Amino acid sequence: MIDLTYLVAAISFGSLLTSTLTFSAPLILGALGGLCSERSGVINIGLEGKMLAAACATGYIAQASQNPILGLTAGIFVATLLAMLHWTLTQTYRIDHIISGMGINALCAGGTSLISKTFPELGSKQMAAFSIYVYWLCAWTAVIAIWWILKSTRGGLRLYAVGNDPDKSRQMGIKPGKVRLQALLGTGLLTGLAGALIVTNAGSFSDGMTSGRGYIALAALILGGWRPWPTLIAAVLFGLFDSLQLQLQGQPLFGQVIPGEFWQALPYLVTLIALAGIAGKSRAPAGLGKP
Amino acid sequence: MSWKQILLALAGFGVVIGALIVAGAVPSDALQTVIQKALTTPAGWRDILRETTPLLLLGCSVFLALKAGLFNIGADGQFVVGAMASVAVALQNFGPLTIPLAIVVGTLAGGLWALPVGLIKAYRGGHEVITTIMLNNIAFFLSVFLVKGVLKDPESQSPTTAYIAEAAKLPNLVQNGPFRLNIALLFAIAVALALWWYLKRTVGGYELNATGANSKAAKFAGIQIEKVIVRSMTTSGAIAGLAGALQVLAYENRFYSGFSPGYGFDALGVALLAGGSPLALLGSGLLFGIIGKSTTVLSLTGVPKGLSFILLGILVIVFASFRYRKEPSHD
Repeated sequence: MIDLTYLVAAISFGSLLTSTLTFSAPLILGALGGLCSERSGVINIGLEGKMLAAACATGYIAQASQNPILGLTAGIFVATLLAMLHWTLTQTYRIDHIISGMGINALCAGGTSLISKTFPELGSKQMAAFSIYVYWLCAWTAVIAIWWILKSTRGGLRLYAVGNDPDKSRQMGIKPGKVRLQALLGTGLLTGLAGALIVTNAGSFSDGMTSGRGYIALAALILGGWRPWPTLIAAVLFGLFDSLQLQLQGQPLFGQVIPGEFWQALPYLVTLIALAGIAGKSRAPAGLGKP
Repeated sequence: MSWKQILLALAGFGVVIGALIVAGAVPSDALQTVIQKALTTPAGWRDILRETTPLLLLGCSVFLALKAGLFNIGADGQFVVGAMASVAVALQNFGPLTIPLAIVVGTLAGGLWALPVGLIKAYRGGHEVITTIMLNNIAFFLSVFLVKGVLKDPESQSPTTAYIAEAAKLPNLVQNGPFRLNIALLFAIAVALALWWYLKRTVGGYELNATGANSKAAKFAGIQIEKVIVRSMTTSGAIAGLAGALQVLAYENRFYSGFSPGYGFDALGVALLAGGSPLALLGSGLLFGIIGKSTTVLSLTGVPKGLSFILLGILVIVFASFRYRKEPSHD
């Protein structure tokens, strides 16, 4: 009990709230980007790469131009370009979705590292950026928008249809390729925002700065059962783990100092346990990865 | 081969050349540097063969899973866990048993790390790519935790274990000037040969191939595909764990934070490039070893190491456009 009161005293709830909102926003955006793609049947493990590339583009363009709009646009543009690459590779070339995603992740990791190491002077200037509140707003609006689009619009229902059974959709006269193109445009937009947010929060781009948050976003998507609201809850939960880690650094809990690595691994652990406990497959779009 | 694939290959080639130019290197000079410093010197070949060992083994690991229809993205995590378990054993003194024990424990640890992946896939339907990504990250944070804590060398400032004793190191077969050939490479080649024999000549291998080719048909034919999935995923993990153990015992001689430079992802390239035959893994493993050494040599002339990931991404995408394609049942 003493530990618990100690713990409560150690936590500042105001800053816990703001840091949770900040940490969860890129996860929400990334996970929703993944949701667009995976609901249309395109497996997307390339969220990490898109976010990293968008962070790189936003960081450098915003520094060079001193214009936040230009920076954000560059980030969204690059992420959308990569989403289109994923679309071309999976839909036109019929490459396995996982291989394409892996390839894009490798390209982005290599490309951004090459750029940041070749032009180290780029990172030194102050970047012009939107306030972090703009991104909070974007993230929460995106949840409402996507929930509404999926539930109530013709496009949203088609997205569900293509994602659940591309063959039947073809028979109904819906072209899966076209629906997926639109879905992946959404993925580009959202992952671009997520990357821009990450670099804005850090102040400048550094090599590998997304540090696995694309994968955590993917985990949130899966834990949320590919549905917008549960995905939001999962992303906020993961954001909360992150901020708790910051606040509890070095603080004993029940007589033990919980190592930072435990908090960092927690989102992955929770997702793994969830997959082991409740069936992961039944909730996934049935047509995932099908041509 | 269609014009689309040729176009993709050309575009990929263009990206690599473009990356070289962005990094401020002249492509022809870069090629010359690679030939002079990596491909024609004994020290260069020492490093190429050293790089080839984990790449070949992890390639075998990913290849085996791929034959069963499973993407083992988790080879990286299994490699790290195998290396960690192996170093924990090798730091103790078990006399002449130290080396075999360290190899066995590393292999088992890798297999155990992959076991939940197989179980969740077979009995819960959770996609193996997701579970392996989760386990990779958990393995990474676990390794950071251990190497900062119980496994840390008290003498050292940085998060690393102590070096293992001389008697626990795997010996070099050939040691000639700067050239070295460690016995670990022979282990790796033996695993590739064993894999070939297993897949072509045994009932287990037949069941694995059948499950990978068409799991529904395999199930109708009476193959217990759940068991095949668990078995192949665990074996795949065990091979990756072996790779980690050999990396410790033969080359690194310790474990430290950031032990794997992303070998697990290279391994996917190795396995994809090998296509149908496990024997082709020998060639593709060597090629990725050469790429690894070449980008290291180039990094000394100022081309960032990021180039290797660009090359990897391009190779994987271009190879995959020739293989592992999915056609719709009717378009």
